[in-house]
Amino acid sequence: MVVKNILTRVLAWLILLIIVTWTLIPVIWIISLSFKPYAEWRTPSLFPKNPTLDNYIILFSPQSVSIFIAYTAIIEPITGPLIRSIAVSILATVIAVIIGFFTAYGASRYNTPGPFTLFFTLLTRMLPPATFVTPIMIYFTTLRLLDNVLGLILLYSATTLTYAVWILKGFIDAIPVEWEEAALMEGATPFQVLLKVVIPIARPGFVVSGLFIFLMSWTELLFALVLTSVNVTLPVQISKYVTAVGALWGVQAAIALLGSLIPLVIGYLIQKHLITGFTFGLVRG
Amino acid sequence: MSSQVVVKLENVTKRFENLVAVNNVSFEVYKGELFTLLGPSGCGKTTTLRIIAGLEYPDEGKVYIDGVDVTEKPARERGVCLVFQEYAVFPHMSVFENIAFGLRVKKLSKTEVERKVKEIAEILDLSNYLNFKGGKLGLSEQQRVAIARCLAVEPKLLLLDEPLTLADAKIKEKMRRELRKLQKDLGVTMIFVTHDQLEALMLSDRIAIMRSGRLIQLGTPEEVYDNPGDLFVATFVGSPTINLLEGVLEIDGNRLLLKTDSHKYAVASDINVKTLQGLVGSEVVIGFRPEDVEVMPEGVLEGVVKLAEIAEDKRILYVKLNDHEVKVFVDLFTSFNEGQKVILKINPLKLHIFDKKTGKKLLKGVIPG
Repeated sequence: MVVKNILTRVLAWLILLIIVTWTLIPVIWIISLSFKPYAEWRTPSLFPKNPTLDNYIILFSPQSVSIFIAYTAIIEPITGPLIRSIAVSILATVIAVIIGFFTAYGASRYNTPGPFTLFFTLLTRMLPPATFVTPIMIYFTTLRLLDNVLGLILLYSATTLTYAVWILKGFIDAIPVEWEEAALMEGATPFQVLLKVVIPIARPGFVVSGLFIFLMSWTELLFALVLTSVNVTLPVQISKYVTAVGALWGVQAAIALLGSLIPLVIGYLIQKHLITGFTFGLVRG
Repeated sequence: MSSQVVVKLENVTKRFENLVAVNNVSFEVYKGELFTLLGPSGCGKTTTLRIIAGLEYPDEGKVYIDGVDVTEKPARERGVCLVFQEYAVFPHMSVFENIAFGLRVKKLSKTEVERKVKEIAEILDLSNYLNFKGGKLGLSEQQRVAIARCLAVEPKLLLLDEPLTLADAKIKEKMRRELRKLQKDLGVTMIFVTHDQLEALMLSDRIAIMRSGRLIQLGTPEEVYDNPGDLFVATFVGSPTINLLEGVLEIDGNRLLLKTDSHKYAVASDINVKTLQGLVGSEVVIGFRPEDVEVMPEGVLEGVVKLAEIAEDKRILYVKLNDHEVKVFVDLFTSFNEGQKVILKINPLKLHIFDKKTGKKLLKGVIPG
């Protein structure tokens, strides 16, 4: 028995180790690459021989590192795209989650707008995005939303809304109507019932759908690339470090790393809710 | 008990699609009484309660609370509070916050909220639980929190929807006692919904028995038990259930006879048959409760003991007549053997005679003569 137990544990650790290594190697590689000077980009060593911060410095002040100037006619510092990305992702998330919540609540409690419409919202995810890039571009031209942060916010919240609706509906479905009715009996208005009972209990749902939508908006490249030219977001900025003579790998690694820091921090902060959120449907009994 | 009317239902009807959940129900509930809606599941008792609470609106009829027509008013404007079957204690709030919920909605000052919550927690013995999260409480505590939360908003009327069904037998008894005590101590008007007739008999000042959306009988527990208005009430109330004999009523001298398919029973003797004259020849169901039958040394009704069973402080005899079986309460310490012949005597005053077709009561009690 004991031997068997130990064996199981060892095996479990081994499997975990393989998975973790498998997942982490690209990340470690990017970290390493981001500290390598230009000469080492193509050398397959895990640690940089002459570590440098050049890759980061160029992000913030593109003219200061002379060696790169020959390769790229760059562009603005990373701060603009970074702020734009943060703003676009947060606002798109907030809009999608708020509208999604009310839609989900209506669907869950009053069966509006009917099951077909609810499935219809999934349509935005069923088509390959490339199929509606062109129509969206034509729309945006007419609406004067090209190269506009507002355009991206609207587009992202519209295309991710369905996640908020479906995730939150699951959470609201699990809240017994009696809890809401109990609040009504206590003299609460329907709006107070939402605010004090439904929303706090469904909080993990907000966290999960919010993070999901945030990440989707944060990493979206195709539409941002097509719809913006000057007012770009982070993923588009990364693509700009590809030049006629090759990609600036070190710089791209640096920008990728910075770009993943923010989701990482957010994920860490809301870890507790994430676990509730992901296991919610499973442990309901 | 003062006779001030707190709730009045007037011809209330509620339909759900094709189903008539509540059918033309009217009754009044007086201040300070514990009024029970009793009936099997699906009889419309919970719907009636929810109509009073304002969680459902009737299709027809009126609801008055304290003389004011509240039929169209939302729940929050009625001054009533409902304790749900599963208590609906908010799991994300502490006991304190649960009780304070309604007070905060009313925008009472912080000190006022605190004072009131503590006061009510004291009454319901919840002072030690104030910091517990709602999701972590036992059933008995949940019930008390649900009641405390309701009492905090000082409702004119407390509604309880099967609050004891979740509990197991032992806790149930404790919770039932607590509930009754609380109701008496605070003088709260309560409407209580249950399918458990014993619970209703033990707790209530008055009972309204419902079936298929209709109010069948309304009265004190004694009235309902001793003088059931029809066969349904007679069988629904009381445990073990009332004995029933079906057949055609006949009179022979001063004896009441019942002719069944295969046999003729002398149900009672030495009676004044005058009151029965009109019923001779009609198909009836004769009912009598197990405690209204005695085993006698001699008499007219003979049977064979099939089984003797101990029930708390009594013994129940299952006596086989020819084509019927009746239950008889006897003293715990008298012993009976299986197969033993016994002679039964039914107290004629406690005989219930019902119409077999309609189930309506035809006669209660036959005078000895």
